[in-house]
Formats: sequence, structure tokens, C-alpha cells
Amino acid sequence: MADYSEHMTKAADLGLENGRVPTEYYTSPEYFRREQEMIFRRAWLMVGRVEEVPEPGDYVVRDMPTLKASVIIARGKDGEVRAFHNACSHRGVALVCQDRGNALTFRCPYHAWTYRIDGSLSAIPGEQDFAHVDKAANGLARIHLDSWSGFIFLNFADEPEVTLPEYLAGLDVMLEGAPFDQFPFYVAVTDEIDCNWKNLVNAFNEGYHVAVLHAKTLRPMVVPKDNPHLHYLDIKQFGPHSAGTVPRNFDYNPQAPALTWVYAQMLPTSAPDMEAIAQGRAGFYEHPGINRLNIPNFGTETITIFPNISIQPLANGYLFYQFWPISEGRMRTEVRVYARHAPRTLREEFAMASTLAATRDVVVEDMAMSRLQQIGFESGGKKFQHFGQNEPLLRMFTRDYEAFLAGGGLGPPARQAEAAE
Amino acid sequence: MTETLTLPAGFEDLAPFAAVWGHLGDQQERYLQRQQSTMKELKAYYDATAPRLNAIFDHLDTFPMDALPEPEALLYRTTLGLTEAAMAIEVFNQPCVPYAPFPHKMAISWSEYR
Repeated sequence: MADYSEHMTKAADLGLENGRVPTEYYTSPEYFRREQEMIFRRAWLMVGRVEEVPEPGDYVVRDMPTLKASVIIARGKDGEVRAFHNACSHRGVALVCQDRGNALTFRCPYHAWTYRIDGSLSAIPGEQDFAHVDKAANGLARIHLDSWSGFIFLNFADEPEVTLPEYLAGLDVMLEGAPFDQFPFYVAVTDEIDCNWKNLVNAFNEGYHVAVLHAKTLRPMVVPKDNPHLHYLDIKQFGPHSAGTVPRNFDYNPQAPALTWVYAQMLPTSAPDMEAIAQGRAGFYEHPGINRLNIPNFGTETITIFPNISIQPLANGYLFYQFWPISEGRMRTEVRVYARHAPRTLREEFAMASTLAATRDVVVEDMAMSRLQQIGFESGGKKFQHFGQNEPLLRMFTRDYEAFLAGGGLGPPARQAEAAE
Repeated sequence: MTETLTLPAGFEDLAPFAAVWGHLGDQQERYLQRQQSTMKELKAYYDATAPRLNAIFDHLDTFPMDALPEPEALLYRTTLGLTEAAMAIEVFNQPCVPYAPFPHKMAISWSEYR
């Protein structure tokens, strides 16, 4: 067996000395207010996929609790995807009340001011009484939108400090052409948890807890004998974003009858499709930016997009996690399991439901710890938490978090060049 | 529940489990049912359904998946509960995920589907 210990990146290898982090970051309303202003109103925020609005007129409405924003994302007749605040120019009503749909126009239910799908204001009933309103200047308020690899990002700044490609700082280059679009079908689970959002961000950025917290769920599947603390391998930094390679046990062979039956119907998203790998058609496995070490028992590349996204490409799909702070002590999370297609048989549907239940239970284990962590932090006896040498991504996230709060964080070109090495 | 619980021929013995799991409409309800069940109840249900998954789906496969007759739809809904019960029996050896709040709700949605 090859020795990958040299690739078990330690915090010191990356010059990260911040092993002690104030718990105040996780409990203080003042820090939450600064996060809203200095992070969430400055960073590009991922909000979905272009496949959610495939046709002209298609729209979705997203509620972003951190900024108390209600956002309409709509594809215009011209094919362009735009984002608007869901607020009528007249008296402010959040006029689109359906989560999704297809429309030619948006009509406010209060006084019937009407907007085209591109956001422009098309009609004011009794217009003579609004002679002072310049229709051309009173469309729905635009939000900056750009996309990368089919992922839609928004920026709530009046003028973004950097473009989306600048923001992604090389992560986009590494993942250029990764086949996310081959997995358009998803199942989502959402929950609100009494914890600081960074607790859950951190949980996805270290493998140290997997053998303990996930002893009954993930451990047999992913913790190899030669990496018992599940060190992430080959950690890469791209501005405030990161990626690391995570192994798994390719010889995992569940013996439990129901689980075995499920595996036989349809491989779970996470399990390696050995046949496809052998035939060289294994989706993400072949991508040069993923599993750069070519470890033979590759599990996932865990990709963190600052501030609140984790994406894990897998053999038969990918997992997507998003973490929205609601306050310093409460957050909303959405987990999506993306697959190649909707179930085509009842057996596949049953298998997908089983996989979903299993994935959810793993996330519930993480959420349970994040909640208990918050109780511990708020009790007030501990002023610091400790991030080990084996938790480099936690130190890195904290470093960039502090940089954003101080008005920086949006990487200068020098940092990007360094990351691309 | 006023509707009669009619299961397809050969699966009538699953009626007690259909009464519990067969009327649940989605995964969140099944997740809650799992949490509110005892291990004894979950084990009895698991023992009655897990060994028969092939027989159950061999039967269901003879119908179009979007147009199951009511007895088959009931059998299918009853069987779907196993996606939750199996986590309790095969993985955790307890109904709930350890350390999670109880009861724990979690909204689940499938994209543009059924």
C-alpha cells in the first residue's frame, strides 16, 4: 500500500498558527452583524443551479435568511438568467409568492403593478397618478449575478469588489469542465438548527471526527486502516476557498440485509462504481483537478467555497451543503444529493430514499454535535476552542473569516498565483 | 383511518405494518414514525419486510410505477418505511440518531418529480 502520510497536510505546512480561536466568534450578536455586512454582503454567494430555470420564463424564489433577502431568479426571453429583489417598486410587496414557476410577467397582488420577466416595469394601473415615477428606472431591483460551471452566484454589494472568476481565485480553473451538469436530479433536506453556522462549516472541513461521531454510519465506509483519523490529503487553497482529497474503503461490503439489497438495486451516490471506473467513464473520478494524487481508494474531493458552501463530488453524483446563518445562535442548512437521473423504477426510488435516509442521518449526527457545541460555547466557561495541526482547513477558514471582517479577504492576484501552483 | 387496508394477495400478513406505515405520505413522516416507534416494533416490522424485499418488488414490478393499483400502492408505501426502520435496526440499534433533538423533523423535497 502506498504511503500517503506526506500528503496529510498539517496546519503548520500551510503556515497556519492560529490554533486557538475565540468562542466569541460563535456567540456574539456583534460578530453576526459584522458577518452580515463584511462577509455576506461582499462575497459571491452560491444560490443554485442554472438547471433550475432551464426555459425562458422559468423562475425560482430563494429566501436568504442571513440577509433577510427574498430573491427572484428568472430566465428571460433572451435566455439570460437574472436576479431581483422580490419587492414591488410601488409599495414594496414581495410580489412573487410561488417557490417556482414559469411566467411571462410578474404582477403585484396589491395594486397590479406588472413587471416583465427581465424585471422591467411594464404597467402601472392608473398611470396618470404616477407621473413622477420613471418606469424605465423602476423595474425590480437587480442583484449582481454570474455563474460558474452551472452554479448561480449572487453578489449583494452595490458594486462587487471582484468578479466571480476573481473571487473563485483558481478553484474554478482547477475544476474547469467538471461534469456537474451530468447530475441534474436532486433530493434536498433542509433544517434549522440552534447553533452558529460556522460549527457546521467546520464539521465538513475535518475528517478527525469521522471515526468517532460517525462510528456506526460513515466510519466503515470511509475510514481506511492507514488513515485512522481521516486526514484530508493534498489540501489546496484558492483565495478563501479550499479543496482536499478524502479516501474511502473500496472493500466496504455491507452485510446488513436491507442495506445490501439497496446496494444491489442502485449504487448509492457515494459508492464507487467499479465497473465505470474500469471502463474510464466514472464522472468526477477522471477529472484532472479531482484526486490529483490518484489515490486508488478515492472517496471524494471536499470543496469549500467561502463562506457557506461545501461540495463533494462522488462516483455517482455529488453532495451539496449550504449553511445560512440566521443569527449568532441559529442557522439553516440545506443538503442536496445530486444524481444522474430521477428514479426510473420503484426499486431505484426505494434505493434513493434509503440513500437519502442514510445521508440525512450522517448530517443529523453532525448537526447534533453543532448544537451541543453551541450549548457549550454559550455556557461561557470557555473563551477559546482549539484547532489541531490535523484541522488545517478550520484554521484557514478562520484566517479568511478574520480577513473579511477586517475589510479584506477578497484575494489579491498574488495569492491566486500561489494557489494555482 | 376509515379506508380499508387491502394488501395484494400473498402480502396480507403485512396488514399490521400497513396500518402504521402504509398511510405515511413522505420521508419526513416515515422518519418521525421511526423515531416514535420502539425497537421492538421496528424489529418486528423489519423482520417481516426486509427478507421479502425481492418478493415485494418482483410483484410491484409487474405494474407501471406511476399507476399502481391501490393494494400495490399500499404495499409500496408500507415497504418504504423500511428505508427508515433499517437505519434504526441495522445501523444505530436505537430508533433515533444519537444526540439529536427528539422528535427531530427535517423537510425533504425531490426536485421536479412525482
